[in-house]
Amino acid sequence: MAQTQTLALVEEIESLVSDKLQVVSYKWLSRNYMISSNEAKRLLQEFVEKHDGGLEVVYALSGWLKGSHPSYHIRLVTGPKLAEAQQEFDGNCSIQVYSVQASIPKDPAVLWNAEFIQAEELFKQPWSVDNCLRDNRFCGISSSFVQRNVDGMPVVAATPLTKASVGIGQTKMNVLQPQKNIAHDTIPRADLKSEDVVKDVKSESNGTGSTGVHDQVNKPSEDKEKVVPAGKKKAQSDKSGSSTGGSLASFWGRASAKPKPSSLPVESSNAVSNHSVATEDAQASAREADGSGDDDNQDVTVRRSSNRKRRVVFDFSDEDEDVVSLSSPELPKKQSSQDSKQKDNKSSEKATLNSDTKRENKPMAKEEKSSDEKANQPFQEELSVINKCTNNGKSSSEKPQSCAPDISVNKDSTKNAAPGSPKRRKVMKTRIDERGREVTEVVWEGEETEAKKADKVATKKSENNVSTNSVNSSSGPATKKTPAVVNTTGKGSKKTVNKDPKQGNILSFFKRV
Amino acid sequence: MGMDSEKNSLCRLQCSYASLDEVFEIGKETYRGQQYSQIYFARLHLMRTLLYSLVSQWKPQTPVCTVLGLEQGKECVIVGTLYKHMKLKPCILDEYSKERSAVPLVRPHNFMHDDDYLVLEDESGRVKLGGDLISPSVFVTGIVVALHGKETGAGDFSVLEVLEAGLPPQIEFPLKSREDKYIVLVSGLNVGSSDSNPLQLQLFIDHITGHLGDEKEQSIASQIVHVVIAGNSIGIPRGLVNGQNLASKDLSRIAEPIKELDILLNQIAAGLPLDIMPGPNDPANFSLPQQPLHRCLFPGSAAYNTFRSCTNPHSFEIDNIRFLGTSGQNVDDLEKYSDAKDKLEFMERTLRWRHIAPTAPNTLGCYPYTDSDPFFIESCPHVYFVGNQNKYESRVIKGSEGQFVRLISVPKFSESGVAVVVNLRDLECHALSFGTQFSS
Repeated sequence: MAQTQTLALVEEIESLVSDKLQVVSYKWLSRNYMISSNEAKRLLQEFVEKHDGGLEVVYALSGWLKGSHPSYHIRLVTGPKLAEAQQEFDGNCSIQVYSVQASIPKDPAVLWNAEFIQAEELFKQPWSVDNCLRDNRFCGISSSFVQRNVDGMPVVAATPLTKASVGIGQTKMNVLQPQKNIAHDTIPRADLKSEDVVKDVKSESNGTGSTGVHDQVNKPSEDKEKVVPAGKKKAQSDKSGSSTGGSLASFWGRASAKPKPSSLPVESSNAVSNHSVATEDAQASAREADGSGDDDNQDVTVRRSSNRKRRVVFDFSDEDEDVVSLSSPELPKKQSSQDSKQKDNKSSEKATLNSDTKRENKPMAKEEKSSDEKANQPFQEELSVINKCTNNGKSSSEKPQSCAPDISVNKDSTKNAAPGSPKRRKVMKTRIDERGREVTEVVWEGEETEAKKADKVATKKSENNVSTNSVNSSSGPATKKTPAVVNTTGKGSKKTVNKDPKQGNILSFFKRV
Repeated sequence: MGMDSEKNSLCRLQCSYASLDEVFEIGKETYRGQQYSQIYFARLHLMRTLLYSLVSQWKPQTPVCTVLGLEQGKECVIVGTLYKHMKLKPCILDEYSKERSAVPLVRPHNFMHDDDYLVLEDESGRVKLGGDLISPSVFVTGIVVALHGKETGAGDFSVLEVLEAGLPPQIEFPLKSREDKYIVLVSGLNVGSSDSNPLQLQLFIDHITGHLGDEKEQSIASQIVHVVIAGNSIGIPRGLVNGQNLASKDLSRIAEPIKELDILLNQIAAGLPLDIMPGPNDPANFSLPQQPLHRCLFPGSAAYNTFRSCTNPHSFEIDNIRFLGTSGQNVDDLEKYSDAKDKLEFMERTLRWRHIAPTAPNTLGCYPYTDSDPFFIESCPHVYFVGNQNKYESRVIKGSEGQFVRLISVPKFSESGVAVVVNLRDLECHALSFGTQFSS
């Protein structure tokens, strides 16, 4: 090391110990300034020699003990006791400076605290970052055979809801995680560059990470969308946290009713416009869903393709569906606005389908959204969407049953406007589902196809929890929605299954809006 | 940077490792109503064939007969499972007895009594054992032995000689002189408990990974090729795990020790191969053989190819030297039901009985195997260790066919600060102790 660097560090140590009263152990020093342990010990030795008085030094003695049984002993002693402790050793023992601090604490474990906090920080860094904790680079022994498996995480992008997050609480925790990951992702690289910058960078990264998290927390709805894309991104980048991020992302992804593929571009933008993008994506996906199902009704061909993508996406993300119920409150509104736009554009049926499919594509989100949207939109659209979804006969169709009930539930309250089919009739049905909950649903009795879907929906309804139902309370025509519902509920129901039926759905707060 | 040259001057030695834990792994754990009689049956059959072959050399003239075939006054050899009737052994029915004495139902340490007697049982029947030669304080329920004696008028079997299975055959110890390679055994880390000293543990980790010490010490540390943690790594406060639902703050109190342990193991695994065994206080199943701790408990450490989660008991081979070890449950249980001068003697007895845990399933929790007994020792280990003991002890025992085994009792690190280092070249071992007391 250059002499100037040494001097600079020595001064820094002095300031740390005297001013901040921190315990500076050689390990802490080595990790903080990216120097090897042996270097750090030498540095501390120099520091002790230069700086007399006012500071306590802890030495590490190691050697063979006197006694009949061979025993290798390592102990920490304070400065004054050094000579005395040396007597216990048989022959030479090596003396090294372990740490310097302003005063010796009563509990020796306090010496370990600063080091451990540092180790914990390093431990929490994103999975793919190879920091000095993970590769043990500062020890005196090189072990070339040690390998660390970084890519243990599944690619979450394809399956946004791979992890069935149970309840909102969990997702919230997950929300924070991807945020942190994002923050740390960009910054740790800088950490490894230079010693001098290390500390600053670290504090920055920590700061940004935390601020990032705080930002996220402050703007829940928007952040959720951001989180979703970020989480998804992370997932794709094989981060250890990504899986949680991905699942979390998928959670929010549904809320924002964005298809996975479309969410990726959203992520890349990752701007404040995320929210709007998300909603747009949701709409697009809804359209796609419609498109796949109803070729006739879809105005835009593009939509159909996106629908298909969405369909595919949803196939993977079965399990998480249930969690999606918690979508950002703003989203549904926006989406509903978009949905309403859609409605205007399409035929009533198709429009509903679109909006429905949007929701359905993201089972959880859809249900939520549909519930919100339902308030604003005619349920017919949803129904049409549902029809389309079911018609598509994709994997979503398997789920239609699960989706359908949700949607139907969603739609029950706001479904009053059933623009489309004159033959449909909305009927309120109350029954006890299989889980013992009383489910009140609005079921459209109408055409055959819808009726069939209604059947599916009905079965799914039982699967779907009350939470779904509550969310979907505003859902309109049930039958029509069943197909859409089926699609989404399939996914959604799974999600809702995880939810505690006794908990109210947060969207129920907004459903009357 | 200048440090690169320092770093590369010492390279950690490597060793070949083979795990022999398959016999202890329960692939599909099912409880279909199996009875424990099946594992005793398997044990009896396994060892009886063995003992019959030994008996023919031991007492060639004396006939072997079953318990029912005993004739009064006739000398013969019988082979069966020992059962020790203990007056003080806690029985579940005591809880329901109408008269409850003032004495508490279960005494924690030793249940021996002068009135205990032994009974030998085989498929046909059982017979009470008498005579001075066989001492109930030495034996426990579940051992299969061969007895030479004769039936007395009172219906007892008076024992003249006892034949145990003896040490199993051992593979050749690789004798060629090699460099010094060390394996470190440690147990009872109790991370997270109030009486563990994290600084001591950090010193231990720093030493074996090569951070601490000068050149000489680090060169010694570079010769450590393997670390085995023999149980009780986590010290979760016992009061929390009582079947009640936990508040969220309690949840973090349970999770914190495991996270801390993961960070510590991460530091070790980044440097050298590590085996971790579950112990009585770890989040693993209760009955033996304990299954490996799940990888998801250690998200950071499990990513390393050097990290291995193993069963308890744990059997492995390093550089063709066979190791066998447990986290202490087998010896602790023996201590409750029999008597010996030190823990190493219990360990020696289990080897001579060729069974790691003879008291399972009688007083030691055990999975109800139906057609095998995994605790039967087929091949004699070179090093036999038991974790979570009170102090460090070590001895070498020799077998009749030239086997020799290094017995090691590994102390609890959280209490003693002592780990054990075994030299693979000659199976010599020494203690590695750490002290952090700042006597003020």
